[in-house]
Amino acid sequence: MTTEELTNIQVDKTVDARGTSCPGPLLAAKKAIGEIEPGQVMEILSSDEGTKRDIPKWCTKKGYEYLGTVEESGYFRIYMKK
Amino acid sequence: MAKKMTIALFSGSVDKLTAAGVILGGAAAEDMDVDIFVLLQAAFAFKKENALANDRVAEITDKKDEFLASLERLQAPHWTEAFRNAKEMTNVRIHICGFAGKVWHGEKLDDFIDLADDIVGIGEYIDAAENADINLFI
Repeated sequence: MTTEELTNIQVDKTVDARGTSCPGPLLAAKKAIGEIEPGQVMEILSSDEGTKRDIPKWCTKKGYEYLGTVEESGYFRIYMKK
Repeated sequence: MAKKMTIALFSGSVDKLTAAGVILGGAAAEDMDVDIFVLLQAAFAFKKENALANDRVAEITDKKDEFLASLERLQAPHWTEAFRNAKEMTNVRIHICGFAGKVWHGEKLDDFIDLADDIVGIGEYIDAAENADINLFI
């Protein structure tokens, strides 16, 4: 998805893990995934560089859909669909 | 079927235990089954009176203060907290090696922090490691 498409997507749950270090954002995402239904979209906010690669890999392994990442000032918005 | 990880956890120092906690977090995110075997020096760290002490660093020891300050700055959870989080999220079992326990005068499960599940012999580790997808020595 393009950056524009991602920024306009309807987000069902936001996980703000900014300020935590690896594996904090990944674990925050893992905890939150149980709170949304299949087909819903979750965004993870992270200031940890490693999260950009961890979340796509995690999505692949767990059968979720990684939608893309938008870089903001000092953090990332990472989008995924359950 | 969940992938299996075994960890032969030998170290009782905060730096290596913190690394083990990070790895455990990754395993928890993927719902792996993890068996941790607490050997020798690690058994010292798992004793109730020692677990929260931050005075043991195995490597780059001349930078211990900087290392510990960085953990705090980065809001890294204490290793016991990282282990506890992982236990809450996936199937993590922590086994104290019976020999190691005795080395540090820990004969009963109650001598160790409540993260420990049981006291076992080394045969348990060999069995688990034989069937693991990932086996680590820390």
